[in-house]
Amino acid sequence: MASNNASFNRDAPSKLLVLACAVMERELLPFQNGRVDFRFLDYGLHLTPGNLTKVLQREIDQVPEGVYDGIVLGYGLCSNGVVGLQAINHPLVIPRVHDCISLFLGSSDRYQEEATQHPGTYYLTPGWIEKGETPLSKYHSYARSYNEEIAGWVLHEEMKHYTRILLIDTGISPMSPYREIARRNAEFLKISFQELRGESDLFQRLVTGSWGKDFLFLDKGKCVKQEMFLDP
Amino acid sequence: MVMNHRYQESEIHQMLQTLSQAVVMRDCKTVQELTERMVDERVDLFVILNQGLNPGMLWACEQFRKGTFHVPELLMSSRALKIGMNILRPLIRDRERNVVGRVVIGTVKFDLHDIGKNLVNIVLEGNGFEVIDLGVDVSPEKFVRTVEKHEAQILAMSSLLTSTMGWMKSTIELLREAGMKRVVRTVIGGAPVTSIFAHNIGADAYCAEATSAAETVKRLLGIEA
Repeated sequence: MASNNASFNRDAPSKLLVLACAVMERELLPFQNGRVDFRFLDYGLHLTPGNLTKVLQREIDQVPEGVYDGIVLGYGLCSNGVVGLQAINHPLVIPRVHDCISLFLGSSDRYQEEATQHPGTYYLTPGWIEKGETPLSKYHSYARSYNEEIAGWVLHEEMKHYTRILLIDTGISPMSPYREIARRNAEFLKISFQELRGESDLFQRLVTGSWGKDFLFLDKGKCVKQEMFLDP
Repeated sequence: MVMNHRYQESEIHQMLQTLSQAVVMRDCKTVQELTERMVDERVDLFVILNQGLNPGMLWACEQFRKGTFHVPELLMSSRALKIGMNILRPLIRDRERNVVGRVVIGTVKFDLHDIGKNLVNIVLEGNGFEVIDLGVDVSPEKFVRTVEKHEAQILAMSSLLTSTMGWMKSTIELLREAGMKRVVRTVIGGAPVTSIFAHNIGADAYCAEATSAAETVKRLLGIEA
């Protein structure tokens, strides 16, 4: 089990390395306080199962000893992408969330509420639109690889149960270009479009170190397990 | 194994390999032609299934895991597989006289992912099972009610999100409360699901690959695969 007594001062860490997914770069950077180094990793790592774990482990292994007091991941459980990770030389801090949508919305409870009231939600954020993918970008990519007919069929198979696009306004200015793209996606899929204001609390705490119960703390050498993220 | 006089054993072997490749290459036309030809030539139905169609799909799934295939390739291979399975299914049913077993399947509550589950359906139906597919976002109550109503021997659940996996546990608990846990065998699968999780929630089996679904279910029912 993750420890609550990590071997560094959780309340006042002096130097941290944040290893995070590129989709949250814009939301994390404003909290730079001079005591954090960031390393952002490509969203594309999500696309192949197992790739995320491999690359994250390699990144963790390359962190030099003695430079940082701890490593913070800008990832949740992410379809088990963090399961099996182990930092031999550093304590590891990970938000105790299923995926980044909780971070964008500010809490797991808020994500849970959205996901249960509207299970057919496709979430978009400025970062997802810029660095990740949207249904429309997938369609165009499929059409390039095959043709429009196949692209339409595949996208339909993937998206047939979705009923709305939810754009999370994370305070990026201006939001209008992202809104336009999110709307276009909803129109293309003939589903509803909604926008919701996000919260930056978890991003701020992730960077500044005031982690509390929403984050897992793993002592040096402890291995990440799926059950650490699941409710009992 | 092969009740056939017109073709040599080696030619049948070649046809089975071509059939596998056609599934991998999403070539629906070749899958249809070859499956029909082998059926006409009285090649054993389970040989066509297990040495032709299934290995092709298994290979496609492996490529998906490695990242050389993506969702479009996987879906198109599934479509090709389904064409072959649709030819074999009624024949297998006729030969086996009765259905091999009755399975209730669905994706758990608040989860809408069904690509893997639909592939499991194709595989199970192709192997002669009667499959009652409840679709996606299925509540524990609906699962248990349907199993009871249709007297299914197997309850199969899929989840693609770590946030919805817990509903598998709730469903198994409800099955237990209804006094059906011992008579109905449960099998679970989906990308984030593990054998440890299956064990922890009391599922009878964990199915890592859609292509091995029939084998897993047959083993649970004590049927020789």
